[in-house]
Amino acid sequence: MTGKVCFITGSNRGIGRAMVEAFARGGASIIAHARKKNDAFDAEMRSLAETYGVSITPVYFDMTDTEAMKAVFKAFYQNKTRIDILINNAGVAHGGLFSMTPVSKIKEVFEINLFSAMELTQLVLKIMTRQRSGCIINLGSIAGLDLKPGNSAYGVSKAALMAWTRTLASEVAQHGIRVNAIAPGLTDTGMAAQMEEKAGREMVESSAMKRLAKPEEIAKAALFLASDDASFINGQVIRVDGGSA
Amino acid sequence: MTNLEKYINAFTTTFGIGESEVEGLEYQQIKAWDSIGHMSLVSAIEDAFGIMMDTDDIIDFSSFEKGKDILKKYDVEIESV
Repeated sequence: MTGKVCFITGSNRGIGRAMVEAFARGGASIIAHARKKNDAFDAEMRSLAETYGVSITPVYFDMTDTEAMKAVFKAFYQNKTRIDILINNAGVAHGGLFSMTPVSKIKEVFEINLFSAMELTQLVLKIMTRQRSGCIINLGSIAGLDLKPGNSAYGVSKAALMAWTRTLASEVAQHGIRVNAIAPGLTDTGMAAQMEEKAGREMVESSAMKRLAKPEEIAKAALFLASDDASFINGQVIRVDGGSA
Repeated sequence: MTNLEKYINAFTTTFGIGESEVEGLEYQQIKAWDSIGHMSLVSAIEDAFGIMMDTDDIIDFSSFEKGKDILKKYDVEIESV
């Protein structure tokens, strides 16, 4: 990863935070996105950068604020900033039976989990197509593959994200850009803690390894997909869920 | 290089055509200006003028002439031929 620049959205906690550490340890420079400016996060990123001898630049914008997103990218274009790896990690969870989920909530979930990632990717592709190289990793979910009850918002938004991964991969491969998705099982993060206990227990039971994933295990899968070892893997959705029981 | 020269240059280098062929040129009128060529043209124009075009403008960019109008939004004035 040395010499590569990796942009990670939603990098202040959970899987995103683990990604920052994994890629920094691997020698990549990081552009670490979070929604709101936070001095503690700035300090943490400085400390990680020192530990691993890499550059980590925090950037702040709300993923649904197109103008703020564009302002950040205008600066990137002007400074001719490279982006070798994009990890579309930022997302929100929501569970609930369809009849008890307002469509406005479904739209809100899609806005963050799918549309904002698409918007950001269009901006990043302007950089990657000029470079004639790049790697995009979308954070899907097994909830978007298994589509069990209660997943009309989160699960369907992740299903759409993973479907988009495949079509985008077929479009941009000609520019030397690979696009893949990771579908984690239930992972030990704040998002998992928000889940209804019964639903969480069922997800763990449905995993052959009978446990939650660690965020670092998801980050390692991303590290592999971003590496040259995965140079011919494109348009795939990789389950990282401990296997099905 | 004037803005007009930069603008014409983006078309000629992207599509491999002569300067005499750009006037009146429209999207999909020649084989090279397909959807893939269109994105290459947009990159060339963005690089030439140091701008970042919005997706709506990329879609609306349907001809050599239309492109001149769109660039005005980005404070790029293309001189008349």
